[in-house]
Amino acid sequence: MSIGAALFYIIVFPGLLFLLGWTFFVFYFSRKTLAYVHKRVGPHFNGPAGSLQTFWDILKLLTKESITPKSADPYLFNIIPIIVPLIAALPVILIPWTPLINNGHGILDTNYGVLGLVVLIGVEPFLLFLTGFGSNNKYSFLGGMRILAQMISMEAPFFLSALSPALLFGTMNLYDIMFSNTWLTTLILLPGAIIFIIAMLGILEQPPFNVPDAEQEIVYGFYTEYAGTNYVLLKFAEFTEILVVSAAAVTLFFGGYRGIFFDSFWWLFFKIVLIAILVVAIRASNPRLRLDQMLKFTWSWLTPLAILNLVWITFAKLYIVGV
Amino acid sequence: MDRIKEVLNKFDMEYVEDYKSTWIKAKLKNKNDLLKVIESLKEVGVKTCSTVSPTDFIDENRIEVNYFLEDLFNKKNVWLKVDVDRDLEKCEIDSITPLMPSADWHELESFSTFGVKFKGHPNLRYFLISSDYYGKFPFRKDFDWEAHEQNLIENINSISDEFFEDYEKNEKTIGHEESKTVLNWGPTHPASGPIRLKVFINGENVEKIDADIGYVWRALENLVERKDFVGSIVAVERICFMDNPNPMICYSQAVEEIAGKEITPFAKYMRVILGEVGRIASHLISAGSFFGTMGLQTFLMWNLDIREYFLDVLEDYSGARIATASIEPGGVRYPLNDYKAWFETIQKAIDKFESVKADIDDIFIKNPLMSSRAKGNGIFTLNDVEEYYLAGPIARASGAKIDVRIDEPYAAYGELNINYVTCENGDARDRLYIIYKEIMQSIDLIKQAMKKIEEGIESGEMNPTKDHLIRMPRRMPAGEAVSRVEWARGEMLMHLVTTDKSTSPYRLKMRAPSVNHTMVLNKLISGKTLSDIPLLYGSMHICQGDLDR
Amino acid sequence: MLKVLDFFNYARSKSPWIVHFCSGCCSLEMLASMGPRYDWERYGYIMTPTPRQADIIFITGLVSKKILPALLRTYEQMPEPRYVVAIGACAYDGGPYNDSRSVIKNMTEILPADVFVAGCPPKPEAIIAGLEELKEKIKRGEPSASSQGGLWKQMKF
Repeated sequence: MSIGAALFYIIVFPGLLFLLGWTFFVFYFSRKTLAYVHKRVGPHFNGPAGSLQTFWDILKLLTKESITPKSADPYLFNIIPIIVPLIAALPVILIPWTPLINNGHGILDTNYGVLGLVVLIGVEPFLLFLTGFGSNNKYSFLGGMRILAQMISMEAPFFLSALSPALLFGTMNLYDIMFSNTWLTTLILLPGAIIFIIAMLGILEQPPFNVPDAEQEIVYGFYTEYAGTNYVLLKFAEFTEILVVSAAAVTLFFGGYRGIFFDSFWWLFFKIVLIAILVVAIRASNPRLRLDQMLKFTWSWLTPLAILNLVWITFAKLYIVGV
Repeated sequence: MDRIKEVLNKFDMEYVEDYKSTWIKAKLKNKNDLLKVIESLKEVGVKTCSTVSPTDFIDENRIEVNYFLEDLFNKKNVWLKVDVDRDLEKCEIDSITPLMPSADWHELESFSTFGVKFKGHPNLRYFLISSDYYGKFPFRKDFDWEAHEQNLIENINSISDEFFEDYEKNEKTIGHEESKTVLNWGPTHPASGPIRLKVFINGENVEKIDADIGYVWRALENLVERKDFVGSIVAVERICFMDNPNPMICYSQAVEEIAGKEITPFAKYMRVILGEVGRIASHLISAGSFFGTMGLQTFLMWNLDIREYFLDVLEDYSGARIATASIEPGGVRYPLNDYKAWFETIQKAIDKFESVKADIDDIFIKNPLMSSRAKGNGIFTLNDVEEYYLAGPIARASGAKIDVRIDEPYAAYGELNINYVTCENGDARDRLYIIYKEIMQSIDLIKQAMKKIEEGIESGEMNPTKDHLIRMPRRMPAGEAVSRVEWARGEMLMHLVTTDKSTSPYRLKMRAPSVNHTMVLNKLISGKTLSDIPLLYGSMHICQGDLDR
Repeated sequence: MLKVLDFFNYARSKSPWIVHFCSGCCSLEMLASMGPRYDWERYGYIMTPTPRQADIIFITGLVSKKILPALLRTYEQMPEPRYVVAIGACAYDGGPYNDSRSVIKNMTEILPADVFVAGCPPKPEAIIAGLEELKEKIKRGEPSASSQGGLWKQMKF
């Protein structure tokens, strides 16, 4: 890999600029879609149909005073928001984004792609717990504790369901998984995909599992004390994680950038947007669960189902697909 | 009724007489008999204290304490008066809280504002008033307000000091070894509104809730004493803007009763329509924010959309959206020049609600996640209703058949077809369902009243441009009256006292239901988890405006 | 340099976030202006749950003595630059509660406001129009009124 290519990957695609563009897009998109369900208009006057709203929001937050509370741990409070987006953006190099880069493989073409994805996504909540811990605010701390509880319970079904394509195709290479996928295997993987998407809602703290930043209960969870630039960085990390996890879902279960007639990044993007619409629709119509209800749901339903799903995949591999 | 009279006559009374259809008015001579009277009243079924209302007669050097005691299920009520001495040292009376827990906060309020000491109250403390009024009893007629206003900044600093003292004490005494702490749930909290709940938690579990109220205390009861009888509606309607017309109806009835005037049938029906529109506007927000407490704003937004159409009705009539000032003593304020156009606006609002109703049923009312959180959560039994006097929708959700519109019909409710709307379980979900059912009931009532007005106008019995207001005297005779209405949040009781040839009320006690609903929060939420606080708090439909007044 | 600062002022004016704080009845009309018919999100206003991310605090109508320290504390927790919008007659001189014993009559002497919105309570249109005025002020880069003075600096909160 030449230095020029490496710089392009880091700065333009699928690195910084792409992720920023995605952040702008998804923030605007979710606000607009949610407003549509609310029978409102949403951002409208800033930019064409309000499309520049996020841009102004982020510029404003960057120029605001960045407060470090007196009682907070200044190092933890300010360093974690820099680390979080970096960790959140790392899985980007594993995912095959487009046929144009690296012959269609991910930038880092490894045989442990699934493992890498799952581990890098799983580190994130722990860092967010540290932000809550470092804020030294009761509500932030409660948010941090909740995110740990949520991580421990949600990651089991998340890992197990992410394993199902690897088990079916006998490889952990994301490129191979993507190209082994057929209509038949997509159907076989469908239960796994549903479990993955439910667990994904928990990992991304989306309703009905948005327990860690429950506004009405604990103000804003671990975000409570963050202002200005630090808040932008944390939000950037959150949206990057949304992108990475939904891209992982698409790559693992729905054939990544492969599409009808032609293979392109836009197919991947289209599928991600479909998942985003699903997430917003769930957000707009369902109230939040209680923490203990969520734990009960994951341990007594989702995790056993994910294990059963592995049994089903093994069965399908032996008798339907054929080894 | 006779049994109650019998019981009362056993004691040394100045008088025992009937008052309205459901009340017995009595005055106790000796204040030391109070506990015995209450005890024997409890035996005949009068188990609930609606409110405690002291009146300061400074010329006669006495404070008259009024107890409004109710038998909720048999609709037999007792209005008991006792005199106490006005001097601060001798101004004390036995507390009835150990016998009737529903009197708890009402007694605290009387103590804080009038300085009546309640002997034997479990936790007598200053309450509601801000700390600069401690020991000064602002509702007494001889309170020197001008002098108190002089050092504003010092007063406010004393309030801050009190808060920080409390904070330091909690931080020092509460658990560094265990996972216990105190959360200030409000007043700067996304879901709280201006109230501060001190939540003692152990991890995620709530151990105790201590409500600190008074953040929107406007001393309305005192404010009306400086306004004339019509001007007072401005203060009265501001008790809570969510349901605006009903408090004005309550106040106007009390004034009309003292003046001895009867309003026209047209005005009565107008009061029904305005009152029900206000109730719907309030219920829509209540139901919406019930879901809002669980992080789902869609229902609130849809409801706000519908509510705008009902506010259009009020705006078309009075020119204001929520501060309508549309009802005054003597009838309703404005003539109805084009009643057909106004009825069309009402019809539009009703159509709007009915067009969305199917979607609301499918998405929200039957929502399984909502049921999983709210069903069986925070149950009130009929016994709790009687003990703590839960009123209105909260009581009806538990199956209690209480509704002032039926029990003691006012305005034109006696001529309309109206039934009790109840649910059985009394859990948080039922408190949502009852709200939703009551919206339907209100729409039905509005339709009936519109029909009656139309018939009346066609037959020439009603004249919408002239009948709206009768002449009220500027000066009122001496007297006192009690008036009750069914407000959106429950029973509202107003106790009005006037002196001879007065131009402004001498004393107005407003009893609003949210006080009791906040009082039971500790019982309701203790032992639940942190996530239940907003849900159960939202399910009580508390408005801080009428909590503090 | 000046141009860059102007640009940032422009960005600030385009995205005013409002802290969730209600001290009086006018918050009901704020709720209405969030709702479908008026929808202030069209202009970019949103409510934030914590004061740390907010630019604007509303004095929603009356401020009683007891809530004033909480209001000032919330204001103090907001990052600079921060603005104050006073809504309703009560925020100006006590309005209908001018005679009342526990309501602060000179609220804007304590915490000077950048924009007043008249009405009791003001209509949602008026609230949005007031906020648009504030936008112009932010665009011009004027310092907020409350940073210039006010009794709040002498108070404990």
